[in-house]
Amino acid sequence: MPSAGKKKHKKPSRKKSELDSALDQVGDESVAAATKEFQDLLSEAKGDTSELIRQNAEEVERRLVLLKKRKIDKEDFDHFIENQKRDLRVFVDGQPAQAQERAEKLTLRILEIAAKVAIALI
Amino acid sequence: MNSTLNSRYAFLCAAAIFIASCGTATFTKTGSDATIESLRSFELAFIDQFAVPGKKFNATAFNAKVNEGNAKFQEAIANDQFTARRPVFVDLKAQFDADAAHLKSKATRGKITPALASEMKKDVNKIYDHALGR
Repeated sequence: MPSAGKKKHKKPSRKKSELDSALDQVGDESVAAATKEFQDLLSEAKGDTSELIRQNAEEVERRLVLLKKRKIDKEDFDHFIENQKRDLRVFVDGQPAQAQERAEKLTLRILEIAAKVAIALI
Repeated sequence: MNSTLNSRYAFLCAAAIFIASCGTATFTKTGSDATIESLRSFELAFIDQFAVPGKKFNATAFNAKVNEGNAKFQEAIANDQFTARRPVFVDLKAQFDADAAHLKSKATRGKITPALASEMKKDVNKIYDHALGR
């Protein structure tokens, strides 16, 4: 598995996603900073060399879109976020010390902010 | 001459024990993998049975299935010969507990959606793949 500590080589595509468009419509100023941080981290994670980091980012994005479309509710969303956290803690703890901070930022931190962003989306 | 023969026998015995232990470890891991696949099938079937939109919640059937699952996981944790896997089985049991609690909470209020069932199964498959090192 590629290390999360490696610098990314691929510039992630900045074409607007369905989620970006939904987030642009969030008018709540109190979550503006969280939304911006979330979009930046998500974009970085989606271009990472680690497949697990990319998959996690794509999964949380897909589930935010499902939430926005009311295919799942906030309780379901929170349940899935907890599942993802449980799964990722093992991955982050298994990274070399120098790569742990970055791995945590691109996985667990994204999931934490996603919970805030989710509230603004619904 | 005798000491040379003894050394040779000792070496051959050590090699035989090493090869046998490798075979046993492989066999043990294969058995452990099969247990994980069996638990995966059980949990996917559990979701299929109870994460059905519009289906009336049957508490008796649900509790019986949860008890069956608990027994399967406890047996796997207690009896798996590949001891390095024990923490993995504990993690899989935690996933089953969380899924059962969420399903019960949603099903009793009639709030199961097709997307919930589908996403739950995706998570189960992912965590079991990771448990198998895939």
